[in-house]
Amino acid sequence: MYSFHYIEAKSLKEAGDLLAANPDAKLLAGGMTLIPTMKARLAQPSPLVDIAGLGELTGIELGDGKLVIGAATKHHDVATSGVVKKAIPALARLAGLIGDPQVRNLGTLGGSVANNDPAADYPAAVLALGATVITTRREIAAEDYFQGMFATALEPGEIVVRLSFPIPRRAAYAKFPHPASGYAMAGVFIAGTANGVRVAVTGAGPGVFRWPDAEAALAKNMNPAALDALVVAADDLNEDLHAPREYRAHLVKVMAQRAAAAL
Amino acid sequence: MDHHLLEVAGTHVSRLEDLRLVTGSGRYASDWNLPGQLHACFLRSDRAHARIVSINAGSARKHPGVMRIFTGADAVAAGHTRPMTILTFKGKDGMQARVPARPALAHERVRCVGEPVAMVVAETALIAQDAAGLIEVEYEELPVVIDPEEALAAGAPQLHDSVPGNLPFEFEAGDAAATAAAFARAAHVTRLKLAVTRVAPNPMEPRACLVAYDAREGSYTVHVHVQGVNMMRKQLAAYTGVAEEKIRVVARDVGGAFGQRSLAYPEYCAQMLAAKELGRPVKWVATRSEGFLTDSHGRANFVSGELALDRDGKFLGLRLDWIADMGAYLTPTGPVSHIRNPSTCLTGVYRIPALYGRWRTVLTNTNPVAAYRGAGRPDIAYVIERLVNQAAAEIGVDPAELRRRNFIPPEAFPYKTPTGSIYENADLPGLLEKALKLADWKGFAQRRRQSETAGRLRGIGISTVIENTGAGLFPKDEVAIEVAADGAVTVYSVSHSQGQGHETTFAMIVAEALGIPTERVRLRQGDEDRPLFGNHTGGSRSTVGAGSACHLAAKKLIEQGKTLAALDLGVEPSQVEYANGTFRARDSQRAITLGDLAGAKAFSATAEGSFSSTFPNGCHIAEVEIDPETGVTEIVSYVAVDDCGRVINHAIVEGQMHGGVVQGAGQVFGEHVVYDRNTGQLMTGSFADYTMPRAGLVREIRMEEHPTPSKVSPLGVKGMGESGCTASLAALTNAVIDALRPLGIHHLDMPLTPARVWGAIQAAKSRFVRK
Repeated sequence: MYSFHYIEAKSLKEAGDLLAANPDAKLLAGGMTLIPTMKARLAQPSPLVDIAGLGELTGIELGDGKLVIGAATKHHDVATSGVVKKAIPALARLAGLIGDPQVRNLGTLGGSVANNDPAADYPAAVLALGATVITTRREIAAEDYFQGMFATALEPGEIVVRLSFPIPRRAAYAKFPHPASGYAMAGVFIAGTANGVRVAVTGAGPGVFRWPDAEAALAKNMNPAALDALVVAADDLNEDLHAPREYRAHLVKVMAQRAAAAL
Repeated sequence: MDHHLLEVAGTHVSRLEDLRLVTGSGRYASDWNLPGQLHACFLRSDRAHARIVSINAGSARKHPGVMRIFTGADAVAAGHTRPMTILTFKGKDGMQARVPARPALAHERVRCVGEPVAMVVAETALIAQDAAGLIEVEYEELPVVIDPEEALAAGAPQLHDSVPGNLPFEFEAGDAAATAAAFARAAHVTRLKLAVTRVAPNPMEPRACLVAYDAREGSYTVHVHVQGVNMMRKQLAAYTGVAEEKIRVVARDVGGAFGQRSLAYPEYCAQMLAAKELGRPVKWVATRSEGFLTDSHGRANFVSGELALDRDGKFLGLRLDWIADMGAYLTPTGPVSHIRNPSTCLTGVYRIPALYGRWRTVLTNTNPVAAYRGAGRPDIAYVIERLVNQAAAEIGVDPAELRRRNFIPPEAFPYKTPTGSIYENADLPGLLEKALKLADWKGFAQRRRQSETAGRLRGIGISTVIENTGAGLFPKDEVAIEVAADGAVTVYSVSHSQGQGHETTFAMIVAEALGIPTERVRLRQGDEDRPLFGNHTGGSRSTVGAGSACHLAAKKLIEQGKTLAALDLGVEPSQVEYANGTFRARDSQRAITLGDLAGAKAFSATAEGSFSSTFPNGCHIAEVEIDPETGVTEIVSYVAVDDCGRVINHAIVEGQMHGGVVQGAGQVFGEHVVYDRNTGQLMTGSFADYTMPRAGLVREIRMEEHPTPSKVSPLGVKGMGESGCTASLAALTNAVIDALRPLGIHHLDMPLTPARVWGAIQAAKSRFVRK
């Protein structure tokens, strides 16, 4: 780790000002990705602006057909929240599948979404549920927010404040964890919403993506068998020493069927 | 045999060391600090094979706080270049091992990624790390060879001029002609080519070392993790040319070792150089990344095996062609353990009249390989037990029945194998029957049908294994016992726990012999102020060796105490009796306690003993269920019936067995060190890519004991620290292959990851469709 300056921000405004004034500044929430990167000397941010404790970023609220969760809410809190479990049980289940207890008690929803790791779990839920990312500057539809591997619509200095999830009629998440890291090797979130069925896939490709064929098939018949005839193209999927892309493609379908079975 | 022993031994005593260890009060290698200490950081090669053209350390040297930068030239000038070898026996056709030099810092050439090229010593670790980043090394890349078979081929890149053909040692065991004759008359021959993959032992504690030099004495104090201080000192002395008596090794708690922590690594020898040159202590603490790159790896054996059978399924001969990947340099333990242990147990648990094995150790552009829990024993057991299961399938005989037909019968012990090993004792049929019953072998067909109905593939696998324990550089083990005036008993041993629980087991042995509560006995391991002769902890030898010496020392203490007590009690020593901590004159009421005796006179005893190999054995049966949609294997049952001789502490033995089984399961289902074939870069350099087993992998192990007491030790014990690992590789793999066999799959190399199993199922299905 290189030496760095650390500042605990007192407000979102202060955090934003610090980001604007320091091109090398980075936000620290749970630090589940940033700190290992710094320890490996692959990042040298300074100052590190800690926003994990900001009251403006906390809270889980249900109202008006939407579940709104503060960006600094920890995975464990989403997983165990009675409100989340009642409103979108699949989201609570997803949060409970992230990492391990240590990660779930430090890592945050906003951090995960801002980092947009292609194998993170949350992006699947955000995209499938058609959530809105509310930042310090604007509201961004999930559709527009995720822009491929570690890339988002966030502009320099823009901070994720909360996420607003429309309550689906039903939803389910099935995840096949990477055997070493525990990240999603294929994670599929299916949401039956007022606007139709949405299927989002994480872990398998260079970024979270929707699977239109599955959406169309499930719209006709919300049943795992509806996906039997579909084939996931492997060409654009990830490949590493743990899984060839053909295997990931196959897992996408299997996880989709398992999610569908759990709806 | 001392039957009195079982009053304490054989009970469940909670581990005496645990409170200290689980409350963070242990003292590990990085916990040592000395006034004025400096900090080292190693700049490591990012090439697998290259000539070092130049090292420009100019700006690093000027970096504030940097004391000095050392390179290979310094290591060579100081003569810190020759790792110890214990490969002293002759190989094939009288071959002497060719042990390449390994300067503590790479000199002129690097041969694997991670090799230390320069050492920065600075006022703080952070400064050293910053300065290391400023050093510029110019390399001229050389061709890389990762695969040991390719390294043996003509025209392969050569690693060392002194090792032609990358072949430092070739060895053979058994009778080639007799074995060829056995194969010639065989009714059936089973052949398998098997990879016992390269793994990273990954002890929880990262490596760390602190070296101080005393200029007046010309001596070094090395604070480092050990498996035994003597072995470490001997290796450091050999590596650096410093006399053994000028090196003091200090160690307390060790956070896991698995064979990996027995080595004197080049970094320690480089620190010795720096501590002497700079006149200040030099400390280094490795990162986990450095651990993956440079802590010795394990296994990496690639074996072609053939088993010859007659018409009745009796084994006629076994022939092995064994390639042991040693990495870029030979470690002291790597070649020996991957040759000697397998050749000692070459016949497994079977009567096989003709045996022949050929071993080739090979150098590749990878991190060196050393002993790792079992050290060749799991490897040979895996080879034999895979062959036996495959043979059973090929000739259509139940795998349990094929074992029964070929076991060394109980009455044949002590059994001399065709390669000259003498197995002490075992009841192999008894083990098997107990395990079959515990695993409900007969009910398997029914369970398999149930799994089929649920769309799952179920398999069952047996392995029945025997192994030799005992390894070490020293012919004897010595233990000292001291009694304090308050009656507290301190035991001193060289054998050093890395988690095995010596403090409890040895205390129980001494407490038992002295008839006092276990809590009054305290163990000090590797005490630098109380040097003793003896071996490290390794090769499952500690209870057999040092444990037995504890027993002998306690007995000696009583005898010596009688003489001393006689003076005090005014009687002849023959009139003194001892029981439960008190010496008593036979014909009077006069008595004196151990503590009072020690208060009056210095009271201690030292005993030594020489203990040969014991042969623990066991039968493990694993049952698995595979989800053919994902390739995920679930271990649904694991049964272990083991003969560890007499058990001192059941909880500790169970814990060792659990750890061994899970370590084997880790290798079977996930662990694998992978290098890029072309560049020699390590692909599995963190836990994000290296699959360590998790708690859910093995959920339950059902164990039973089936002891046949050993006469090697007065305690009747057999070593057992590695048994679980030795048996589990084959039991689990056999179970997976059994599940897949209906699809026409006869073998898959570990790791049996979901992707690999799924891929094999897909390939088998497409073969089926084409037919």
